[in-house]
Amino acid sequence: MNKTFALTKKELHGLFSSPVAYIILIVMLSLFNIFFFLSIDQNREVSLRDVFQLMEFMLVFFIPLLTMRLFSEEKSNGTMEFLLTAPLTHTMIVLGKYFSMLIFFSLLIGLTVIYYLIVEYFGDPDPSSMLSGYIGIWLEGAFFIAVGLLVSSWTSNQIIAAMVSYLILFSLYFATSFTQYVNGNVKHLLIQLSTHTHLENFAIGIITPSDVVYYLAGILLCLVLTRLSIDNRLWH
Amino acid sequence: MLIVKHISKNFGSFQALAKVSFEIKKGDIIGLLGKNGAGKTTLMRILTSFITPSSGTVTIDGDDINKHSLTIRQKIGYLPEKPPLYENMTVQYYLKFAAEIKGVPKNKQLIQLAKVLEECDLEQVKQKTIATLSKGYKQRVGIAQAIIHEPKLLILDEPTSGLDPIQIQQVLTLIKNQRDQRTVFLSTHTLTEIEQVAQRILMIKSGRIALDAPLSDLLKGTNSSQSQPLTLEQVFINHHQPQPSKNKIKTPKKTNYQVQDE
Repeated sequence: MNKTFALTKKELHGLFSSPVAYIILIVMLSLFNIFFFLSIDQNREVSLRDVFQLMEFMLVFFIPLLTMRLFSEEKSNGTMEFLLTAPLTHTMIVLGKYFSMLIFFSLLIGLTVIYYLIVEYFGDPDPSSMLSGYIGIWLEGAFFIAVGLLVSSWTSNQIIAAMVSYLILFSLYFATSFTQYVNGNVKHLLIQLSTHTHLENFAIGIITPSDVVYYLAGILLCLVLTRLSIDNRLWH
Repeated sequence: MLIVKHISKNFGSFQALAKVSFEIKKGDIIGLLGKNGAGKTTLMRILTSFITPSSGTVTIDGDDINKHSLTIRQKIGYLPEKPPLYENMTVQYYLKFAAEIKGVPKNKQLIQLAKVLEECDLEQVKQKTIATLSKGYKQRVGIAQAIIHEPKLLILDEPTSGLDPIQIQQVLTLIKNQRDQRTVFLSTHTLTEIEQVAQRILMIKSGRIALDAPLSDLLKGTNSSQSQPLTLEQVFINHHQPQPSKNKIKTPKKTNYQVQDE
């Protein structure tokens, strides 16, 4: 566990020793703030439901920028050889990197808790629906990070990693948009695959086992596939 | 200490290594020679578990590389051809990170850090960002990360590549100083460097071991045209560019090295 933690620290050090982390935090929080203001101003209700939906859309743009470098940079710099010849298991490497992004993302989401405090000050919001919304958006971010991590393990080119991540995340996000063209099982599959479907329940205060399982299974699947990608050196 | 038996490695239809076998004893400094593309880096990558062989076995102190990869990696220090450095880190931070992931106990990390900083003469640059260092310093940081966990076997892939003569001497001195502490397996194109540090030569040609001999035995031979002692360069050329018979360089008659010509 110490080695995994060392990798997590190293990733966070890399992130915060460049302007990238600060720029992402500032830009994302600025956008979230605008959405929050517009949502409260237009809806006149003490709920963050619309904010969570807009956050989800922004995560589709922002997560690939964060994850594209995770493995791609190691490969292009030659440091992947350093990690893979050190006495580390591949699981430690995958988890170390994953946890670092999860911590950064949690910090970003944590900073938006002030929205709850603001609506609490001006009205009487339902704390349980707020909490479920935050749990939903956190699970979705965790899932997106796992997707980005997996894609980054396929290539040494950061731009390709970001583009392929965008393709996957947009497909998941917009899956329900294609349901009007199909019927039956395919339609049901698209609805179930869509991240939008699952976050919607969290945003209105409903936590269902199927939604939680969707995110957890997605995260686990991506982490296992990342591990296999490293095992098989798929970028060669 | 290190036993390599019938190692082969195929990349698709290309055979990079073909039934390579050799043994290395504790405390030896072995020079691995060969032309570009001969299979030196592939061999080193197999020894470090970075890639797996298509067939054959590698054991270090009795541990099989396929079955006990983690144990083996704990015993190995490796400097690839391009030093694997995180340029945004300071030297000290990077070496501490290397100590952590290489399993140096927490209470010994600072001791080991101080030791390698002194041994590799990095004390005065320890607070500097790696990106700002000269190539010679970067190479020494690369060696420092390779020895910070006190490995039994140190594998160096062209550690003097791209350095100026003074930097080369500094790195060679550093390698020579490892002799008492660990076995060193070193590859380079510069034969005079190998002559300075190695006790034994392994020459690899088209993925096969073409020569395995103590350096002193190799240099006992004479050049027939000039009756002068052989240099390693002449031995290398002799094995890679067959000479016309009248100019052919004589190899020593009574030696215990093995020449495995194809």
